[in-house]
Amino acid sequence: MCHRKSLPGLVSVGLLVLAGCSLSPLAKNTAAFSSATALVVDNTRNAYRAAVRLNEQAQASLLVARFDTDHPMDPHSIRPLIDEKGLKVRTEILDGLRVYAQTIADLASGVSSPRLDEAAAACGSNLKSLSDALSSATSIGITLSSEQANGASTALKALGDFLVKREIKTSVPTVIRNMDPNVEALTKLLSSDIDILREQSDRDYEQILAQQDSFIRHAGTALSATERRAEIARLPRIVTGKSATDDMLGDLQSSINKLAVTHHALAAAATSKDTSSLQARIADLLASGENLATFYESLSSSSSKEKE
Amino acid sequence: MAPKKKSAAEQAPTAEGALQPSETSQPAETTVPPALTNPDTITTYQALYDVLGRAYWEASDIKYKDTIQGARDAIYEILTDLNRAKLDANTELFLALQPKVKASNKALGKIKEKISSITKNISTASSVIAAIAKVLSIAPSLA
Repeated sequence: MCHRKSLPGLVSVGLLVLAGCSLSPLAKNTAAFSSATALVVDNTRNAYRAAVRLNEQAQASLLVARFDTDHPMDPHSIRPLIDEKGLKVRTEILDGLRVYAQTIADLASGVSSPRLDEAAAACGSNLKSLSDALSSATSIGITLSSEQANGASTALKALGDFLVKREIKTSVPTVIRNMDPNVEALTKLLSSDIDILREQSDRDYEQILAQQDSFIRHAGTALSATERRAEIARLPRIVTGKSATDDMLGDLQSSINKLAVTHHALAAAATSKDTSSLQARIADLLASGENLATFYESLSSSSSKEKE
Repeated sequence: MAPKKKSAAEQAPTAEGALQPSETSQPAETTVPPALTNPDTITTYQALYDVLGRAYWEASDIKYKDTIQGARDAIYEILTDLNRAKLDANTELFLALQPKVKASNKALGKIKEKISSITKNISTASSVIAAIAKVLSIAPSLA
């Protein structure tokens, strides 16, 4: 009897040792990588939106400038910098990258644990019912106490955890390694996009600035002193916006490049125990992403103020 | 599928098109002329745009400013079209990369399924135990 009582407990202790109680290095690293990736993805999406909006403003300013000339611009000729198809594929691929990073983090942290806990608990409870039924239906005399049933549940959970972790340990690093060249190709493409956006944004601001200057000069005395003062005051704000946008796009490009390097380190660390360099890279990536996070919000709020 | 004929609204706002919108009813050539994709040509246009920019701010006469900015606007439109073309080319590369990202996520989905099956196996064992217990619980009444 005593032997039977202690067996589930011993099994559970042994399996818990095998399964491990704390987060594995892979779980910690993938979780940190996922958070950093989510920031880069958000910042990149915001950069696309901001660049397309800015280009629309530049085209609109050209439309206004040419309105009363002998060669007015057809408003229908205003086109988005990136068409719908282009924005859609970029959005989808960024979402795909976010899902990838989130999934490896979920898998590595054992996100299915609640279901496993439920199944293991049900199993222990059913074992208790089985022993009760056996006891009353037969003369075998097997009885299972609540403690023993709980021990069986714990042992099953530990076994499940162990099997899950073994699956993760063998499969996830392979996926990460296989994804590495794709992340590199993707980040190179995103970086190439940012190069174009930087160049375009720079000229869009220049256009808006010159059209604003031209508007003030042509308006002459048609503007009241107060109105003229307000319009002139917009000029330095446009110059500041140009500089800030370029700085932030440069930082975003740097974050994107860091993402590739960090994923490469993640792929290497997935099969190695030395993760010190990876952790440093993740911290660096996360910090640069956080610096950018509020910028696009400030851009939207400043453009709203401009409209007012 | 035959390529969709582009409307005037969809055409590139080239300097010429912007100057004479009524003449843009013909399908626009969306492919950038090879001469304009030459990095040297692009650099030259960019340099010209910048020089005209400096000239604009240095000019004091509004008529000169208008003339300079008119030329600058035309170069702006050419360079913008070139950037659109570069972004379109990147779109194709993104499209080519998309299935690879999807494949990775699919591989991760399979791992999730395997993990679910571990849980499911434990659930199945639990169901079997429950079923046996149920049979045993009615066994005395059958005896």
